[in-house]
Parts: sequence; C-alpha cells; structure tokens
Amino acid sequence: MSHPVSISVSNLTVRFPVYGVDAKSLKKHLARVTVGGRLGSSLAGATEVTALSDLNLQLKAGDRLGLVGHNGSGKTTLLRALSGAYEPDEGSIDVHGRIAALLDLNLGVDPAATGYDNIRLRGRIAGLSAREIEERMDEIAEFTGLGPFLSMPVKTYSAGMQARLAFAAATAVEADVLLMDEWIAVGDADFQKLAHKRLLSLVERAGILVLASHDTDLLRLYCNKVMRLKGGIASPVADIRKLDDLLAA
Amino acid sequence: MDTATHMLRTGQRGALFQVNMALRDLRSSVERIGLAWSLASHDVVARYRGSILGPFWITLSMGLMVAGIGLLNAKLLNVAVPDFIPFVALGIVFFGAISGTVTEGCDTFVGAAGILSQTSLPMFTFVWRTVLRNLINLAHNMVIIVAVLVYYGFWRKADVASAAVGLVLLVANSAWAAMLVGIFSARFRDVPQIVQSLMQFAIFFTPVFWLPERLGSSRFVLDFNPFYHLVEAVRAPLLGKQLEPHSYLVLALMALAGWGVTFAIFTRTRRRIVHYL
Repeated sequence: MSHPVSISVSNLTVRFPVYGVDAKSLKKHLARVTVGGRLGSSLAGATEVTALSDLNLQLKAGDRLGLVGHNGSGKTTLLRALSGAYEPDEGSIDVHGRIAALLDLNLGVDPAATGYDNIRLRGRIAGLSAREIEERMDEIAEFTGLGPFLSMPVKTYSAGMQARLAFAAATAVEADVLLMDEWIAVGDADFQKLAHKRLLSLVERAGILVLASHDTDLLRLYCNKVMRLKGGIASPVADIRKLDDLLAA
Repeated sequence: MDTATHMLRTGQRGALFQVNMALRDLRSSVERIGLAWSLASHDVVARYRGSILGPFWITLSMGLMVAGIGLLNAKLLNVAVPDFIPFVALGIVFFGAISGTVTEGCDTFVGAAGILSQTSLPMFTFVWRTVLRNLINLAHNMVIIVAVLVYYGFWRKADVASAAVGLVLLVANSAWAAMLVGIFSARFRDVPQIVQSLMQFAIFFTPVFWLPERLGSSRFVLDFNPFYHLVEAVRAPLLGKQLEPHSYLVLALMALAGWGVTFAIFTRTRRRIVHYL
C-alpha cells in the first residue's frame, strides 16, 4: 500500500511525568504507599508537565518546517513525538514515510568503536540490513569526509566530526521525513555545504524536513514554513517570510 | 514520492488498546530480530575490543574459576575431583548465564535511552539484545563444558536432548526476569543494586559450589529455590542424571506466570518507559 509522504498531527497533547531524583528511589515510593499517601496520581511520584497541548499540524511532501521557540517551549518534544519515541496522551500522529531523527548525536554511538562500526550500528538502527550498509559504506564514508579517521574510535572525534558521522549515517537511509534538532550548525563551512546539498536532494525527492533551531538564517536557508512554539502551544503554520512577524508576536 | 512506511500513534486509552500495542511491539521486535542480534554481537565485541584474546577472555576466566573452585572445594568437601569438576563447571556456567542475563537486564532500557528517545524501535528489541548477548557469552563457555565432559568421560552418559529442553526453559525464565528488572530499574534506581545483591546471595544458596546431597534431610528446601531448578534442568541431563519431573513443572509454570506478570506490567508501562529514562 503506497501513500504520499505526509505528516498529520491532530490535537496532540504530550504530558510528561518528571521523575525527580527523589521519586526514582524505591524507598520514597514504598514509603508513600505504606504511609497511605494519595494513590492514583501521587503513586507515580511524578509531577506532570504538559509539554505540548492541542497541537495541530499538516505537512505534505516537499514541506520544510522550521520550529522556533524558547528553550523548553516543546520543540524537541514535538520532534521526539514525530519520531515515534513519545506517545501522545491525547490526539494522534500519523506519519507516512521513513523517518530519520537526528535529535541526539549519541544515538546508538559507541564512543570506543571506530567510525565504520558506528556507521554500521546506526545503519542497523535506522533499518538497513547488514548488506545494504556494506553496499553504501563507500558512499557514506566519502560523504562524512573523515577519511582515515573512520578507522579510529569515535571518542577521538571533535563535536563537528561526530556531527558529520551522524548526519552522513542518518541521511544515508533515504529517509522521507527528516527530523533535526539544532546541532547541524556544529559542522564547519565545508560540512554545511555538503549538508545543504543533501538536504536539497531530500527536498527534491519531495521529502519532509522538520528543523528546530534558534538560528533564523539557518531556518531561512532550509525551510519554507515556520511554526512557533510557546509553552507547548503552537502558532499556526506560517510562510517562512513571516518569520520576523512570528518572532515579534 | 510514495511510501509504504506508516506510523500511527494515538492517545487512545483502554486496556485492550494497550495490550494490542504491547503485542505489536513484541511482533515487530521478532520481525527485526536481526537488529537485536547486531546490537548484541556488537556489545560482546565492544567489551573485549583491543584485548588480545577478545571474547575468549570469557572462556579463559571461566576456565580458571572452574579449575580453582573445583579443585579447592573437592578437597574441602572431600569429594572425588573427576565427579566434582564437571558438576562445578556446569553449575558456574549455567548459573552465570542466568545471573548475567538478569543482572544485565537492569540495563536493558536504561542503556538504550539514547535510541529509545528518538526512534520508534520496539522495546522488546532491547530485551532480546540482553538475552542474545548472554547467549553469545554462554556459547564461549560451552568450550569448557564440552572439554570437561569429554575429559571426565561424561560425554557418553550425557542426555543432550533433555539438556536442550532445560536450556530453553532456562532462557525463557531468564528473559522475563531480565525484562521485568529492566522496567523496574528504569523507574527505580535502587533496583540494579537489589538485583545484584540478590544474585550474589543466590549463588551461595544454590548448589553450585557444593553438592545438594550435603543438605541431607533438609534437601527439600532446594525445591523452593528457583535457581536450583533452573541450573539442574541443564546440569542433571548433562551429568547423565534424570531431572525430577516436578522440576519441569515448576519451570514451565514459572515461565508462564513470569511472562504473564511481565507482559502485564509492560502493557501498563510501555508508553511511559521512555519518560523514566
């Protein structure tokens, strides 16, 4: 069954139990039960934070959405929900297309393993078979631009080099939907150029990009739409040309 | 661009829906069992990277332990070495497989925080990763088992088919325990310490370093030790003895009840585990 690439989010609410250091202790938990504290909500021993509330979003093939908002406004939570890691508390998320999330550089990275091994590991996590990875290894290796460093442990890499590795491995999957957090900005100018090319090819293939960033230049470069999050509440999706108005609002 | 990949996540509630989601998680983990295998074998290789013997350190250290404890305890307990070494070797290796799976089970989800918080990979994948990793370790230790059984002439007596059944029961039970402690360890950070102490305690109270016959008339207490049944299920057939039928019953019931409870808890906590991390 084939379906065009799309993201459809309706009435999405994500609540987030925050388990404090204390609440993670079994003693506190047991004490609470034996003392006869309020069961139900307090049994979880957590404060609930509403990270996203009643969010609606429709994206179709070719859309590149920029997410703006202060720290803690829910950008990353939305990306994590779109990646399938966080389940909605209310509403629904419907994504057609292969998702690649570049939210955390450390996804499945073993710092002691070589660059090559980490590409294999990431490729496997992203859904490639061992053979598919070997077939693409040369291409991925070339794209990272890390050359002989790929045979060295990732712990010897700089942040920018790690970003190159992660980006190359994640985008090698021919993802239809690319979810990215901020960090793409860590690479050097060369890498930015390469990343730009690859993102453009994603757009040409009519994929969807969702990029969270504080960098307005970066957003203007990659996105054609923008949405502002404020305390978990989303603004309507606007054209990227309205970015300044949206930020001023 | 058209695509066949589809992800639908809803905030739907209700026990039936949650059971369905938990079953779907299990199903897709089985469909992608190759991923769990890749992760597990990577773990084993990674642990011994740069060492000369590599994963065969597992074999070597186990061999030393078996030889040391076998010879010492045979003397202390005044039993014949050719009978005692195979007993100790089997006991340490298979108890080690159980305790390794359960202890490392604590890290099943905590250790996968990075992956779980940005992908929709099935949770069960990480349970299989823990189980498979320990099976790989066990495979390295089988070298010792085979060597000891052949050297001491137990090979002809050994009932390998029954031992295989025992191994299946051992793995089935260790796996649910690993998943259960994995969930609890994510939520409560005291659990790994508790599990570790319990396993240390258990090895001394299970006939691994000593013979069950030594308990004399108190031997019946062993029936209340699940580890005794688990170890015995593999050890007895390989030593040419028959496992008592009630042990099979205990192990089968334990697997059923254990998986029932674990799956029920997983169903309730599945969507929250990622927030625990």
